[in-house]
Amino acid sequence: MINKNNTILPLPYSISALNETALLVSFENIIDENINDKVIALAHSMQENNFKGFIETVPAYNSLAIFYDMAIVKKCHASLQTAFEFVKNFTEEQIRTIQPVKKDGTKAINIPVYYNGEDLAAIAAEKQLPVEELIRIHTSMSYRVYMIGFLPGFAYMGKVDERIAVPRLSSPRTNVNAGSVGIAGFQTGIYPLQSPGGWQLIGQTPVKIFDTQKNDPCLLKAGDSVQFISITKEAFEKLNEY
Amino acid sequence: MSIKIIKAGVLATLQDVGRHGYRSIGVGSSGAMDIFAMQTANYLSGNDEQPAVIEINFPAPEILFQQDAVISLTGADLAATVNEKAIPVWTTVFVKKGSVLKFKRCISGAKTYLAVHSGWQAQQWMNSYSTHLKLAAGGHHGRALQKDDVINFAADQIAFAENKILAWHISQNELNKIYTFENSIRCIKATEYDWLDEKSKQHFEQKDFTISNQSDRMGYRLTGNDLLSKRTISLISSAVDAGVVQLLPDGNCIALMADHQTTGGYPRIAAVIKADLPKLAQLSAGKKISFTIVGIKEAEDALISMQEQLAEIRSACRLHLEKYLLH
Repeated sequence: MINKNNTILPLPYSISALNETALLVSFENIIDENINDKVIALAHSMQENNFKGFIETVPAYNSLAIFYDMAIVKKCHASLQTAFEFVKNFTEEQIRTIQPVKKDGTKAINIPVYYNGEDLAAIAAEKQLPVEELIRIHTSMSYRVYMIGFLPGFAYMGKVDERIAVPRLSSPRTNVNAGSVGIAGFQTGIYPLQSPGGWQLIGQTPVKIFDTQKNDPCLLKAGDSVQFISITKEAFEKLNEY
Repeated sequence: MSIKIIKAGVLATLQDVGRHGYRSIGVGSSGAMDIFAMQTANYLSGNDEQPAVIEINFPAPEILFQQDAVISLTGADLAATVNEKAIPVWTTVFVKKGSVLKFKRCISGAKTYLAVHSGWQAQQWMNSYSTHLKLAAGGHHGRALQKDDVINFAADQIAFAENKILAWHISQNELNKIYTFENSIRCIKATEYDWLDEKSKQHFEQKDFTISNQSDRMGYRLTGNDLLSKRTISLISSAVDAGVVQLLPDGNCIALMADHQTTGGYPRIAAVIKADLPKLAQLSAGKKISFTIVGIKEAEDALISMQEQLAEIRSACRLHLEKYLLH
């Protein structure tokens, strides 16, 4: 939500210490695009106008953690009781003057998927949809990357169409293959590496989502948008990077 | 210029001060569980804090020295021997080529750190030598050390006549600053502390927790206190860190450790202060702990004190090792 002054509308938030080396900004406890916009804008703003001792941020659905080298902050602001106090003031100032994320700050990306997931037939049956329609719905829109977490490179994306939204498996699989595409509630995601997991699996991407051999190993970042493209088995085998 | 693992231990891995700056892509810091012992091991070997050390659990590996080496062991006392002669933790040891380092039993603590002068040669990934087991990256091929693995030193060692233990060591007085009151762990209230009901808040501080055997480098599961959340709504996934104590749906807690995930969906009721993480890292399954809540100022001051203490240890080690290690 952008107003006339090209700033983001204020939203209620609270600030707390995650511990003595990280501060947490928490917005309302809901999954919402406007809140996530604010989180990502704040993350970009902290990266650009960072303070001495700043290390990194962790954007999530409705919160942003700011990690810092406490000893450096304390040294630079010796008159303050705590380093936390400085980081809190700094963060509040950033929130007041926050600008929307620049267009080139995020990217839109197409991800090919071979829709052969183990749970595809079961979901289609449960939702009383032909499998082709389920695939059509999953590929009919682009998804926002709300956050990265759980595993290196695991992107929480949403929101998926209600007609194909299914809960997590009651008993998670002990082994999900890298590249598996799944649905959990209104979220969709890709397993970057082999892992236990409870998301219902609809397909497999041939694209490496996290590659330790690359300088920038992680394909997706919070704020990016993803469009899934349905591909054939032959195309999958040709493109497979795993 | 190397050692050879002649018998594998349980999850002996190369670790350093951690991998910082990649949490936003889901890569946590990893690194040594006990950062105080890890850094001190390096200082006692005449290094700065940067090189990788070997983090050792019991049962520990048996190690053959294929070259003379200046080493140190810190942290847990696992009754180490070189050629069957006991060597202490928290000092510098000169080990001749052909000697065998063994660990006989666990006397105290949980993690021992083995450092070598000039550092172990390890693979760097994302600016850190720490082993990332899930990604199979960093350290030694991203995995625990196995039988027949050969780990090189970064540089040749000075020549010396025979195996020797230096008399100078880190004093008990120094160690007491970090490891005393073993069962009492200080923490601050974390973001969802107030989700606990009043009785659970009292129990959190007054009743002991037991470290369960479902504990590893990712986290220590803490049982024995059935804590209750007065909130019925669930938390939306959000950032966590080493030391963060999460409340699980079954009323137990988990204290996240070095290999924790970057985000989590359980309420964060407390955060172990960084200065007490070494102490917690040295407690193993079955041990009881109690939490004491402190303010953010005390948490900050305690971490500054630990960092200052490490800087003093570094200077003292330089002074004492100068005559041996100046080439």
